[in-house]
Amino acid sequence: MKSRTFPGNFRSLEPISDFVIQKAQQLGFSPQEIYAIQTAVDEACSNIIDHAYEGENKGDIQIKVIELDNGLKVTLHDFGKPFDPGDIDEPDLISPLEMRKERGLGIFFIRQLMDKVIFKFTPSNGNELTLIKYKRD
Amino acid sequence: MKFNITTHPLCYLIEIEGRIDSYTAPKIEPVLNDLFNKEPMNIVIDLEKTIYLSSSGILLFVKAQERCINIGKGKIIFCSVPKFIYYSFSLSGFDKLFTFCKNHTIAMQSL
Repeated sequence: MKSRTFPGNFRSLEPISDFVIQKAQQLGFSPQEIYAIQTAVDEACSNIIDHAYEGENKGDIQIKVIELDNGLKVTLHDFGKPFDPGDIDEPDLISPLEMRKERGLGIFFIRQLMDKVIFKFTPSNGNELTLIKYKRD
Repeated sequence: MKFNITTHPLCYLIEIEGRIDSYTAPKIEPVLNDLFNKEPMNIVIDLEKTIYLSSSGILLFVKAQERCINIGKGKIIFCSVPKFIYYSFSLSGFDKLFTFCKNHTIAMQSL
């Protein structure tokens, strides 16, 4: 298991991606799968900053990357306000452009690109979002 | 993220290198707004050297395209889009909103 803590700001997104990409490469994921994992983690961290912390530099994001038998588990941990991505509506991808709301696209990407998305909140432990991707290629 | 802008007879060409995410997308937004205040209002965006595009980046371009549609003038054309980045456009359905060309020469000829 690899674990690192990053400041909860948008500048951290690139080093967070580098951290996760490196582990996914070591585990033999395909470039397409690595891009999917990168996207899901990036969108999840952006949501933590925007919705759990409601702004930059309000707290840290702890990331654990764990090897599974045939995949990868990424756990994102923050101490912001409870934020369950499952509470966000799916984005409207059908209506005319001017009628669409802009929210929800990041969550949609996470759900589409990962095999499992599990959210847990406890008052003492904050938000924990677990993302699992299995190897297919 | 770095970008380079060149002026052409019918468009501006923006080549974007690196990541377009929640940190860098807000830096591109005023650049697009500035270009849309000038003539010509067509913008070709070359993503050949872009390595990542997040939902915030996609929504930035959607907003710019929406502005073109609302005023009935100008358009955004993407070119040299890496396949994983194109997949993000298609996954969100926004691939239908834009024109995608193989390279910027073809994109400019299409104007």
